[in-house]
Amino acid sequence: MIKRLLAATSIATVCLAANASAAEKVEMWVRSGIGEAFKKTVETYNSSHENQVAMTEVPFSELVQKYATAIAGGQAPDALSMDLIYNPAFAAAGQLEDLTDWAKALPYFNALSPSHVKLGTYQDRIYGLPLSVETSVFAWNKDLYKKAGLDPEKAPASWDEITANAEKIRALGDDTYGFYFSGGGCGGCMIFTFTPLVWGSGNDILSADSKMATLDTPEMRKAVDIYRNMVKKDLVPAGAASDNGANFLSFTNGKIGQQSLGAFAIGSLLTEHPDIHFGVTLIPGATGGTSSFAGGDNFVITKGTPKMEAVKDFLEYIYSEDGQKIMAKYGSLPTRGDIADKVLQGLDPRLQVGMQAISVAKTPYTLQFNDLINSANGPWATFTSAAIFGDDVDGAFSSAQGEMQSIIDSGQ
Amino acid sequence: MAGTGSKALWPQRMRRRRSGWRGLVYIAPAMALVILFFIMPVIFTGWMSLHNWPLMGGTRWIGFKNYVRMFHDARFISALQFTACYTVIVTVAIFAVAFPLAIFVEKQRRFVSTYRTIIFLPVVVGLATASLLWVWLANVDSGFIGPALKALGLVDKSPNLLATFDSAFLTIIIMVVWKIAGFTMIILLTGLQAIPAELTEAARIDGAGPWQRFRHLTLPLMRKTIALALIISVTGSILAFDQFYIMTSGGPQNRMISVVYYIFNQSFVSFNLGYGAALSIALLAILVAISIMQLWLLRAGEERP
Repeated sequence: MIKRLLAATSIATVCLAANASAAEKVEMWVRSGIGEAFKKTVETYNSSHENQVAMTEVPFSELVQKYATAIAGGQAPDALSMDLIYNPAFAAAGQLEDLTDWAKALPYFNALSPSHVKLGTYQDRIYGLPLSVETSVFAWNKDLYKKAGLDPEKAPASWDEITANAEKIRALGDDTYGFYFSGGGCGGCMIFTFTPLVWGSGNDILSADSKMATLDTPEMRKAVDIYRNMVKKDLVPAGAASDNGANFLSFTNGKIGQQSLGAFAIGSLLTEHPDIHFGVTLIPGATGGTSSFAGGDNFVITKGTPKMEAVKDFLEYIYSEDGQKIMAKYGSLPTRGDIADKVLQGLDPRLQVGMQAISVAKTPYTLQFNDLINSANGPWATFTSAAIFGDDVDGAFSSAQGEMQSIIDSGQ
Repeated sequence: MAGTGSKALWPQRMRRRRSGWRGLVYIAPAMALVILFFIMPVIFTGWMSLHNWPLMGGTRWIGFKNYVRMFHDARFISALQFTACYTVIVTVAIFAVAFPLAIFVEKQRRFVSTYRTIIFLPVVVGLATASLLWVWLANVDSGFIGPALKALGLVDKSPNLLATFDSAFLTIIIMVVWKIAGFTMIILLTGLQAIPAELTEAARIDGAGPWQRFRHLTLPLMRKTIALALIISVTGSILAFDQFYIMTSGGPQNRMISVVYYIFNQSFVSFNLGYGAALSIALLAILVAISIMQLWLLRAGEERP
């Protein structure tokens, strides 16, 4: 009897062990606020594959600290969906798996979103590959356009036009405003929606090698003037001055005529706010041209994970046509340029605008993105708030320029 | 036999030593907690402060460079200045509100315990919760203060209280006073109640007016209580963080970065744990110095007749 029991349990153990070796369980962290796209992809993958992906959502503002401390404590997940701007810093710290050889062997490697791959590359080795793509675009509320006597199908092509339209929309009533942006020290929001004004006009806030702050340019002065003018004319809600990003999607309340937002927001507007009729176009530059911020997440793998093969298998699924289709359906633009048209077929045409933006989009490459740009107390966040809402524009320019340069210098 | 013999043989010193050991056993749990959760972290922080210690990657011994750096760090100096300014203003404001309240609720009158409860209620709300509540109260569109001012016709347009330094600072001071004054009031109340009624009576018979009684009787007798309330208020204000982080994110234009906020930023935004540790040690030194000063105040109280 005992023998039989023993035999039964040992068979069970063998089965379990065999099972475990065949099907790997990949631990993966993803930041909150990137919408449903990735979650749905994981669900579909788990239901059709032997390997499983266990996804943990971490608040976006804490992901970097949490991941860094988890690495230090040896508790890091196998893979991570990382805001691509942090990719250089983690790669430089030597915490990520080198994917160069594997990535370059992918048949579609050259079709992967170039700005993502650039951010994933550190000293000519690749440590991160595109997972989700989001670009910033300019959106307008068609219903409010109609009410204000404007042509709801005509996309504004310059900031003069946007300002003029904003004035007409503001005239509609007390709580209807022409334009919105999160101006209360939200560095992330402003780099996403405001720098395209400068980029479109052909300038940048950092030099090409990221070693010089080039904030004080005629293009930036013009961009600041455009926003200041709209604030002065009361076309922007007073709450914008202290919005640290919590109300970034104010456009969804239906009382905002125009706003620059992201492609993820197109996804959530389509699925969660079907009553808002809106159009999207590329963000005009301050003095002409168009531009966009290419954001989103890179897929990175923690150095030394034992489940490398399983993780690669999952990533290959994401890059398959099926995987790309699911991501796109929930608002993440295709990361593979070669099949983008096929993937977007039958989806909302407004996502196409987000896709077009990729070709004009930029992303600053710097190891100090958090310090320079994203931190609510960093020079960029302070500058945007002081220059647009403050009384001393020249002072805002000179102090931000100085502080950015000193942060860059101290990091060399 | 053996027991009584040994008892008789044990010298006095031995017995004293044994009771000394017993005393140690009694305080051992407290000591263990203090050592584990205070002494050791402080020593470790001190060790970290002598390194270049990023959140990720290797650490490097740099001696006292972190400490040298802070003397040239303009942002740290301005954080110190802001914290000092905030501490002085908020402490004066809290006492200006709490003292009259304490005198008000000290006298036995109808509903006095109701008044005490109402004034004390905000104290039991967490500071972070209170900050969030006031973020909503101060919200320009959906809040209470701005829209109420507009509804009363005092302003044409609902003001965004958190958008400019002066109004945001005022809002935070009012919030903190609302939140903390009740606690200070209770401390001051115990001091007031400890003053014997006969003394006040005698002073009155001697012809002292209310102001004279307050100045020459109440204040000197409350010296210790006031020192205690002062220590709590000053220490709390120097360590202020939640309200600035939650209500203004250090804004408008970075003008509300307290020292703790700056330490947090250095450690977890810029990932300079080593420099953050050095700043924490500096802050600890400042707090110890201030507390010693205030303890000296306490002792001065004892020396008075």
